[in-house]
Amino acid sequence: MEALLREYLPILIFLGLAFGLVCAMLGGSYLIARQNPNSEKLSPFECGFAPFDDARGQFDVRFYLVAILFIIFDLEVAFLFPWAVALGDIGLFGFWSMMLFLGVLTVGFIYEWRKGALEWE
Amino acid sequence: MTIGLGHYLTVAAVLFTMGILGIFLNRKNVIVILMCVELMLLAVNINLVAFSVFQGNVVGQVFAMLVLTVAAAEAAIGLAILVVYFRNRGTIAVEDINAMKG
Amino acid sequence: MILQALAFYVFAAITVASAAMVVTSRNPVYSVLFLILAFFNAAALFLLIGAEFIAMILVIVYVGAVAVLFLFVVMMLDINLTELREGFLEYFPVGALIGAVLFAELLLGVGIIGSGSTTVAALNAHGPHVAAIDNTRAIGRVLYTQYFYLFQVAGLVLLVAMIGAIVLTLRSRPGVRRQRAGEQINRTKEQAISVVKVPTRGGV
Repeated sequence: MEALLREYLPILIFLGLAFGLVCAMLGGSYLIARQNPNSEKLSPFECGFAPFDDARGQFDVRFYLVAILFIIFDLEVAFLFPWAVALGDIGLFGFWSMMLFLGVLTVGFIYEWRKGALEWE
Repeated sequence: MTIGLGHYLTVAAVLFTMGILGIFLNRKNVIVILMCVELMLLAVNINLVAFSVFQGNVVGQVFAMLVLTVAAAEAAIGLAILVVYFRNRGTIAVEDINAMKG
Repeated sequence: MILQALAFYVFAAITVASAAMVVTSRNPVYSVLFLILAFFNAAALFLLIGAEFIAMILVIVYVGAVAVLFLFVVMMLDINLTELREGFLEYFPVGALIGAVLFAELLLGVGIIGSGSTTVAALNAHGPHVAAIDNTRAIGRVLYTQYFYLFQVAGLVLLVAMIGAIVLTLRSRPGVRRQRAGEQINRTKEQAISVVKVPTRGGV
């Protein structure tokens, strides 16, 4: 366990340094720079007139469909990693087990292709 | 000062309780309710992995993978239903959903 | 060892704090961002007991995909935020009561307070098992053969999620002209061009 965690120690140090650096920069600018806010400076700037509505624009639903399909194939790839590592130990049965899994998802892939879910009008 | 199983179980219990509390507090906002469900599934995963490691049995981690799969599928379908509901009704208030009763 | 304990407490504290922010924050966008932070720190907690593979998958699947999905939905729907906050304080007492009772029961159940369970104490005495083979390979050895049916069910769940999402959100808009590369390339000269004899002063 100790040896394993020692391999991750650089990442922990990196995280600590990154956090410290961010705190130093934000805190430094907060302490040193002159802070003189007023309501005009703090309001959103939109070419001189008051902003009409929320700055948050709406997204199209088509992005959402792409994101869902990404999740599904992301998980498929996540299942491929241990299979690839352990393929020598699990033999032919493990190989065909994964092929069946991939086949099931390929059915879904063909379905979404035929439905035109991948096309961007 | 050594970290034992109890520490992990306590963190999981706190997260699970937090998820329950979140469902109670944000009763109107389905998106936050779905996020709270994800938090509760994370707590379940912490339990599974902690027991798996402390028992030296990898099955708990296999199960955590499956929980992860189900959680992702649930988020995808739940949010898809939410998008369709919003498209039809123009709001996502949970109270109106009982209109789906037959 | 002391560093490990310290790291555990820091990551656990950030996980719990960001979970609290998910629950209480005013804007759903902030909730999603705190959810990402909570998952990141939970992945660090998994790393600390040596479950490397699950930790990395948590980062890839949750931070990379599920949280982005939530963020998309929050950005996509134009939601009246103040309306959704109604009843927040109204439900707080009953929610807190039920939460407290559940929390106490959970702690009693695993025997952290009181002397309910001896299993946890026994497992604690062992300490975390140091794996003889690396974590990913250990998972791969059992997932595809011993747990064949569960693995295939996971595939079917993903298939249903994919088809369900397409059925629910895909709508074909009439009047949209798409590129059909095959048809466009296969067009012959006869289909595309016609020679017309135009009479004088008649027009086409």
